[in-house]
Amino acid sequence: MKARMIPAVALAALLLALPAPAPAALKVVATLSDLGRVVEAVGGDDVEVTVLCPSDRDPHYLPAKPSLARKVGKADLLVYNGLELEIAWLPLLIEKARNPRVGLGSDGLLDCSEAVDTVLEVPAGGIDRGQGDIHPEGNPHYTLDPRRMAAVAHLVAHRLGLLDPDGAAAYAERAAAFAALMAANDARWRETAAAAAGLPVVIYRKHWEYLADWLGLEIVGEIEHRPGIAPSPRHIQQMIDLAEARGGVIVLGAAWDHPDALRDVARRMRSPLIQPPGHCGDAPGAAGYVAFLDEVSAALAGAAAELEERRSAEGP
Amino acid sequence: MRGTKRILLGAAWAVIMAGVSAGGVFAQGASTATGVSNLLNPAVSINALFLGETSRDIDDAEANRIDLQEAELRFTAVVDPFWQADMTVAIHPEHGHEEGEGGGHYAVDLEEAFVRARQLPAGLGLRLGKFYLPFGKQVPLHTHQYAFVRAPVGVTSLLGEHAPAEVGAELAWNVPLPWWSELTAYAVNGDAGIFDAEDRDLVFGARWSQMWDVSDDATYELGLSALHGPAADPAAEDPDLDLVGLDLTLKWISSAHSHGPALTWTSEVVLRPQEGGDDPQGFSSQLQYRLLRNWWAAVGFSLADSAPWAPDAVVESFTPGPQVRVAPSLREYKINATYAPSEFSFLRGEVSYLHDPDEDFEDLRVSLQWTFTIGSHPAHLY
Repeated sequence: MKARMIPAVALAALLLALPAPAPAALKVVATLSDLGRVVEAVGGDDVEVTVLCPSDRDPHYLPAKPSLARKVGKADLLVYNGLELEIAWLPLLIEKARNPRVGLGSDGLLDCSEAVDTVLEVPAGGIDRGQGDIHPEGNPHYTLDPRRMAAVAHLVAHRLGLLDPDGAAAYAERAAAFAALMAANDARWRETAAAAAGLPVVIYRKHWEYLADWLGLEIVGEIEHRPGIAPSPRHIQQMIDLAEARGGVIVLGAAWDHPDALRDVARRMRSPLIQPPGHCGDAPGAAGYVAFLDEVSAALAGAAAELEERRSAEGP
Repeated sequence: MRGTKRILLGAAWAVIMAGVSAGGVFAQGASTATGVSNLLNPAVSINALFLGETSRDIDDAEANRIDLQEAELRFTAVVDPFWQADMTVAIHPEHGHEEGEGGGHYAVDLEEAFVRARQLPAGLGLRLGKFYLPFGKQVPLHTHQYAFVRAPVGVTSLLGEHAPAEVGAELAWNVPLPWWSELTAYAVNGDAGIFDAEDRDLVFGARWSQMWDVSDDATYELGLSALHGPAADPAAEDPDLDLVGLDLTLKWISSAHSHGPALTWTSEVVLRPQEGGDDPQGFSSQLQYRLLRNWWAAVGFSLADSAPWAPDAVVESFTPGPQVRVAPSLREYKINATYAPSEFSFLRGEVSYLHDPDEDFEDLRVSLQWTFTIGSHPAHLY
């Protein structure tokens, strides 16, 4: 009898002697690259992040491809922007994914707008679609403000800690580090974009309000003033007249905003046009988000210099 | 029957108006005392399609009129932690009203009413209720989702002008393959025109849909569909209705910029193998392209051979009698342009030509269709 037990005991001892397998990383799907970079910064090696909307795609109009639903189907945590930014495609992906881990009301579904204390442009009065395809809960593009993203990092850390209690302390620590990094770069970004802060800016669409709120930009008009509706020639002419009255403006659009039309409008405005990425690129983690804001603030600085140069050349 | 429908119409309208007005009449804080609150009302949307048409070859009012094509009322809400519900009620002109009675009568149909399970594991999905059967690419669509004024004749001639929406259960499974793969099976009661509603047998069917990403911008989808149930059409020599379908869709949406060019090319074959006689078959291929931000263009070709559910205009023109609907052969060509100033309205001009190769029947038709959507309408599938 004892002899029969020897192999079993040996096997048990061997198993105990083997190193314990590393816990599997949490699979996190983020709708936007900005959120994905924050999750990477907070989650470190404990998370595996997939981003649904490529950084060069307008997140309002991402096609709800089933291949994206397949990614959501594997997620332990689905992190999204909220404020109805992804309303045209995220519900379809969640439905098709058939993944109860990220179902409504589960810990695996995280609306990052919960971390935003002040949502901009919340409609005060009645709304209707005569105002265009507006966001009834307010402007959703808060990921362009590093102060608000620091709050998002803490929210992400809290949720990761719920899903992985053993790593909660590490997540909180990394979120604090991310927030400190944002604070440390804040002055540098402001300084870079300072020249633009005193100049009028015409934006293509309401994507940049949080950036303006943070950097102190003066947005004087929108080319697509009713979201989702092509601007009329009359409105474009009004914007051109406005630019002329202000001695030129900085024309700011995202990379996906109709580049040919924008170039034409900027030319008629005799104003510099910049189309930086609307969201951060593929560089992972906090460095990716920092690089994104580096690029945006540098683009603003370049446009400000160009506008001042034109003004100087044309004289008073 | 008509009285019942009018009552339903009135009831549906009353439900909507109650939902709209509840917030104004009853203060939210009073709901504990009144028991009335609109906080948990379902999301409501209305989609209305209007159609003006004229035919070169058909003189009757059905082919030369301006009328409501269809209005859909859709209600969507989460029922509880386990189910989400959708209901779509359609209002459309009443067909087949008595001679000389005039138009202006509308009928109400329940298009869909189902709950969808929210918490099943292992990539499983469950729908219970009344829903469009997942057969091919056209049948599951609501009218306002068509690329043309109507669904192609190659599909409607085999599945009926009004796509089958039946009551039963549907189980879906996301097959764990390296690409998107979805298997759907259902068992439903067969009440649509193509089924023998008096028969006790259920309708069984399945669909296997697979999609591959060619690039970030492009996908192609291959779908196989099949169903089996009791046949209804009197021309059928086989009491069983068996339909099989194959569809292929190429979709490309440029990522160059918002509202950039986009293309959808869908081809679909439907076959009805049966005992005795020729096997009915249908084919359609249609291509839709976004030319400019607000402009779409589409072309389509469709054919139906030995098809048992020819359109009314064809049946009335050359079949021996209205009880026999078989069209020996039909060919359909369509071209249209659509102006969509926003996601919530469009105006469409279309020219279609339907004929049989022997030229016993021709219908060259010009159509103008316009639509609007109000309320909270769920996004459409990819």
